[in-house]
Amino acid sequence: MPTVHDWISDPLGVVEGLFAQSNTCPDWEKKVVEYFKEKLKPNDAHTWVPSLNDVPLHYLKPNSLVKFRCMVQDMFDPEFFMGVYETNDPTLDSKQVKCGKYKDITEGGQVDFNSRNTVTSERQTFYCVPIPGESQWVKEISFTWTQKLARVVPSTSYVPNRHKRSYEEDDEMDTQPQQMKGVRAQSSAESHGNIEPKRQETEAPSHDSSPSHCTSSLDLNFPLPGEKGPACLVKVYEDWDGFKLNDMLEVFGILSVDPALSVIADEREASSLLHPTEGMETVEEQRVHSPPASLVPRLHMLYAQPLVHNNPLLPSRSFYLNFYYIFTLHFKAELLTYLTHVLLGDSLAAEYLILHLISNVYSRRDVLPLGKFTLNLSGCPHSSPYTEHLYKVIQQLVPSSYRLCMSLHNMNNQRMVPRKDYTANRLVSGTLQLANNTSLFLDETQLEQGQLDATGVRNITALGNLITWQKVDYDFNYHQMEFSCNINVLITSEGRSLLPSDCQVHLRPTLNPPNLEEYLSAVQVAQVPSQLNKYRIYLSVARALNYTISDEITKAVEEDFVEMRKDDPQSMSAEDLHRLLVVARLLSLSNGQNTLSRDGWMKAKQLEALRMSRTQQQKCVNGNEP
Amino acid sequence: PSVHLMELGAEAAHAGLQVRDELSEKCQKLFLEFLEEFQDKTGDALYLSDAQELIRPERNTLTVSFSNIEHYNQQLATTIQEEYYRVYPCLCRAVRHFARDHGNIPPSKEFYVAFSDFPSRQKIRELSAARIGTLLRISGQVVRTHPVHPELVSGTFLCLDCQSVIKDVEQQFKYTQPTICKNPVCANRRRFMLDTNKSRFVDFQKVRIQETQAELPRGCIPRSMEVILRAEAVETAQAGDRCDFTGTLIVVPDVSAMAFAGTRAETSSRVTGKEGFEADGIQGLKALGVRELSYRLAFLANHVGPTNPRFGGKELRQEDQTAESVKNQMTVQEWEKVFEMSQDKNLYHNLCTSLFPTIHGNDEIKRGILLMLFGGVAKTTMEGTSLRGDINVCIVGDPSTSKSQFLKHVEDFAPRAVYTSGKASSAAGLTAAVVKDEESHEFVIEAGALMLADNGVCCIDEFDKMDLKDQVAIHEAMEQQTISITKAGVKATLNARTSILAAANPIDGRYNRAKSLKQNVNMSAPIMSRFDLFFILVDECNEVTDYAIARRIVDLHARNIESVERVYSTEEIQRYILFARQFQPKITSEAQEFVVDQYKRLRQRDGGGTTKSAWRITVRQLESMLRLSEAMARLYCSDEVHPKHVKEAFRLLNKSIIRVDSPDINFDQEQDDNSGNGEMDKGQNGAEVNGHPVEAMDTDEVEKQEKPAAAKPALRMSFAEYKKVSNLLVLHMQKMEQLDEESSLKKSELINWYLKEMESEIDSEAELVAKKNLIEKVLYRLIHYDHIIIELTKTGLKKISEDGDEPVMEEDPFLVMIQYADDLYFANHNICFFIVIF
Repeated sequence: MPTVHDWISDPLGVVEGLFAQSNTCPDWEKKVVEYFKEKLKPNDAHTWVPSLNDVPLHYLKPNSLVKFRCMVQDMFDPEFFMGVYETNDPTLDSKQVKCGKYKDITEGGQVDFNSRNTVTSERQTFYCVPIPGESQWVKEISFTWTQKLARVVPSTSYVPNRHKRSYEEDDEMDTQPQQMKGVRAQSSAESHGNIEPKRQETEAPSHDSSPSHCTSSLDLNFPLPGEKGPACLVKVYEDWDGFKLNDMLEVFGILSVDPALSVIADEREASSLLHPTEGMETVEEQRVHSPPASLVPRLHMLYAQPLVHNNPLLPSRSFYLNFYYIFTLHFKAELLTYLTHVLLGDSLAAEYLILHLISNVYSRRDVLPLGKFTLNLSGCPHSSPYTEHLYKVIQQLVPSSYRLCMSLHNMNNQRMVPRKDYTANRLVSGTLQLANNTSLFLDETQLEQGQLDATGVRNITALGNLITWQKVDYDFNYHQMEFSCNINVLITSEGRSLLPSDCQVHLRPTLNPPNLEEYLSAVQVAQVPSQLNKYRIYLSVARALNYTISDEITKAVEEDFVEMRKDDPQSMSAEDLHRLLVVARLLSLSNGQNTLSRDGWMKAKQLEALRMSRTQQQKCVNGNEP
Repeated sequence: PSVHLMELGAEAAHAGLQVRDELSEKCQKLFLEFLEEFQDKTGDALYLSDAQELIRPERNTLTVSFSNIEHYNQQLATTIQEEYYRVYPCLCRAVRHFARDHGNIPPSKEFYVAFSDFPSRQKIRELSAARIGTLLRISGQVVRTHPVHPELVSGTFLCLDCQSVIKDVEQQFKYTQPTICKNPVCANRRRFMLDTNKSRFVDFQKVRIQETQAELPRGCIPRSMEVILRAEAVETAQAGDRCDFTGTLIVVPDVSAMAFAGTRAETSSRVTGKEGFEADGIQGLKALGVRELSYRLAFLANHVGPTNPRFGGKELRQEDQTAESVKNQMTVQEWEKVFEMSQDKNLYHNLCTSLFPTIHGNDEIKRGILLMLFGGVAKTTMEGTSLRGDINVCIVGDPSTSKSQFLKHVEDFAPRAVYTSGKASSAAGLTAAVVKDEESHEFVIEAGALMLADNGVCCIDEFDKMDLKDQVAIHEAMEQQTISITKAGVKATLNARTSILAAANPIDGRYNRAKSLKQNVNMSAPIMSRFDLFFILVDECNEVTDYAIARRIVDLHARNIESVERVYSTEEIQRYILFARQFQPKITSEAQEFVVDQYKRLRQRDGGGTTKSAWRITVRQLESMLRLSEAMARLYCSDEVHPKHVKEAFRLLNKSIIRVDSPDINFDQEQDDNSGNGEMDKGQNGAEVNGHPVEAMDTDEVEKQEKPAAAKPALRMSFAEYKKVSNLLVLHMQKMEQLDEESSLKKSELINWYLKEMESEIDSEAELVAKKNLIEKVLYRLIHYDHIIIELTKTGLKKISEDGDEPVMEEDPFLVMIQYADDLYFANHNICFFIVIF
């Protein structure tokens, strides 16, 4: 029987154990998955598992169980492997049947390819990157929480190991501090005489000898510029059809960083012109599909949990979220006050900003995405760092976000739409390849007069389509392919934005602080972390709530619409009704109500009337200007 | 030689290296028999002449139809299918024997066999290791081609120790040296030199194909597959093509895996001298036999052919197809569904509602778009002028009507559809651009939206916002179905056989009914005339439709279910359209007469002499009518266009032709309480775009009318409309007079005739009442204001009927006569033209 934490430090041992029983138990593979699922079930269990997001790769023990919070950026072609193989040890002249699942390379002796025992299996490789635009607070909180919980775990054998987050073997009585690790690793490797290749770690000799060409040319293909963190090749063994591109996942899997995987080093000598079949993959493809394991580790998936959100303050299952909303009710008033301050005293804009932040495409009817609420905050000062500060505030509140400065340079040069690169056979990412519920902050105040080139026009079109249809057309060269998304778009602009939006609110400051920057930092500083956490919980919960409209209200709304049209058909179009229903939904949810009431409907109408009158006035003002 | 990589899947093959493979030998014999014996219908040996062709030096592949083998010997076919990889070499040997028997060929020449017409087809996603070694057909889009290389198939080596020559060392996808020198006294196992002059090579090419969109589950990245082409199959597939490949799956290990598993492992087991240095670090690990566990699959194809229609009917049109072949592509259930649909009495309606389940009303637009998807028949006249079959549709409408939604729906539904916005696309983006490739510095043509939509639908939103330049560019595409570009020294004409579905906003933001269509949209006349159907969406206001709209929208928000109610699923409709599009309906003589008739009528109604009208009925409308009729016939899977098809086409065309000219005629006595166009909008029902703007009405009329239904009596009409109606009436009266000098029409007779004439435009009883009301007003005006018709009451000359109907007769004949003579002439002229075409 494996001891308490063996399943974390030596998951392959568990797999081998179950594989050994495969003769008596043919569905041992299912058993493996169930075993780990069961182990991860206790509430805190998943926090015991070290995370690739938090812990630098070289501190993690190879072949141990790790987790990775990530987004599926690309899906490679399926791969076939020897699920079971037989080895022939020439020195001992003995044969051994081995399990190839959850592994990258064979071990022990010469593989007998003609063995009748060989079983070919299929697995799928996903290229996963950390969730794009994940806020710093998410990273910090999930890290400290893991830390805290890890200490609480009453297991003696695990704690020091976990605490050090190192790759030392348990049997080594080593107490050296982390900084010494590199040195020690080498010395230990020497002293052990290189017997066990597995022990040879991330600081593999191959990289020492040829450090130049792997790091320099390898593009990890992150959707957003300036992103950091590990990218990972996740090998999926079960139900891979259930995963979609851009899915947010928490993957639990076996970390594989064997240096033998880094094939780039030998590709030069191996290529032969006489026999082009020898390398089915070109150099470019290899670089992408078999990058050095030290940079892009392999993760053999045992279990993956699709993430509804990546807010570490809340349980990841949406099921629980509905219980939370009662507690979060009173958070709204505080958040509204805070945002009103941030929006220079404009409470209407603050209200709409909350509605925007909790919006979510909850359903699609045919081509129509329902629930999206793109907000255009016009009236933002042009040449001031105001929008930058506003973005910082939003970044503090939502789990993932990105600010896209719509400067001419960015529009003409940034790659927004992902494109298939057929040479390297991968999907080259773009800014718009974002996970669900990412806040995209479009800063139109950065736009200046000038010429948009072909790329610029394409980018603007892509942004427009994203806002209107919540879809991005990925460029597959010979055709385009639609990928639906669920991205909250907020546009800040001086006048009305050139992009479409669901709702425009013109900012009307009531405060005029002499030093805007000082004022805004003061407002931000005033928010203590615990306060911010409340807001974060509130926004994530409100967004995930279920919502219904009763038949009675349905009828009332219909009648109301007809009535309004009777008075003045111009005032109320079908599109207005559509928006009004979205506003009513979001307003109800923001107030913690998961069904529409008559009162909620009236409030939504009032809110919209208020906003409309402001835009009307704005038009008049603009019209009067010479 | 170590060839173990292949054995992984096809385990049967490995035993056959030393041991004689009886199955293969039997296969070879049977296959040779087949080649010798199989006869075509005339009794000639079918493959004899093909084999004799192989004598030519550039030929080496014999293409054999797999269905012929099945026909000849089912068991042989099954063996080839199941043990393809194992028996392939002996099949090639059979070809060699066959060719040698019938021609003088060099003994060393290699021959290959290719199989066409392989019956079933696999999706790339369904390929698994279990299929390795069996004969398969897959289809995909070629996304990358590599240059053609020579591949060594059989090597002749020179032993560097004893200089003896080792011949015919078979090569299996990798460079294989002899294991040991054949000279018994020479123990050389390693130092050999390849004699390229005496070795045999074959052309070899790698291409990569990608899963077609039809086979791809949503939200997934298309899978790709490396395909190896050999011999005559090389260079038959170009990037962008959709091809079918017949061959088998093979296992291809990566470079590293290959090297470690095979030769290198052998050499490094006896580490000597220099090799010792290499064998440290990772090399050392590899030397110990450590290798990657993974493989990739590649497809070794013997035959490449263009892809016939997609499975599942995602592709809406396809050349070189017949209804029969499309049917053969479907499963039994799919075919049954298609058949069931073709028998559906309400098919037209059901298709419309299933296609746009979330859009309320606007039935005419739905019908128009549906017919667009079916399309007319493309023709070529005797002079070689090609006439397009594609139907172009334009929707003009107020903002926030569901224009874009229509477009998006079509884009979603039709696979080769492109959605683009006129505002965002410059001419380059829409047509094609010459672009300098960043890496190679070569000029390449980048496909624009129109090209991407070739054989599909190009949905252009905000058509009116398009630059004038682009409108010109698109003009060519709409009529010629090609795009020419001359840029950067590149001159090219590209196909753009696409239907265009455009949406445009009215010039003033809202559609002004007081103006003509042309005045309402910012489009040049030539472009406008290229649209077969124009629909106008107006944000109209009345309680019934308001309720319906409200219900639809609230329903959308209230229900969380993603499903939408439709009679037929999207896939079913796609499959049906694919099938129906294979019909090339011919016009019957009755239908022809009917067309002529209807066209004449249209011309008459048009012939109001209002030259400022944008929408003259010209031969273009006649062509449109034919295209629509053909589409209608296709919808019912009919090989012939019948009058009923023409009738619907005519009705739709009629609905779509809008002529709203000012000044309006106000039939009300109290003219003062009408204050301009704003009020007119309010009272109008424009959801159904109507050839008649006569539905304009006054509110007090509503009260008189009990039914609040869509159609209400109109008391105002445009001048042109008035003129049209009166002309019709007058012409009819004239005709009747010519028939019988003595007789004169009763008022009720005239009204009944008119209503019958207008039948196609009347949808409901309420509309009928409205029309009747209107015609009475028109007559009243003709009599009392314009004095064109004189009313004879008690003083009537002939009959005075009992029921008290006033007889009507006599008019100012001179003026009317001239107008009509003129117009009829043109009408007849055009009809002659039309007959020449067909």
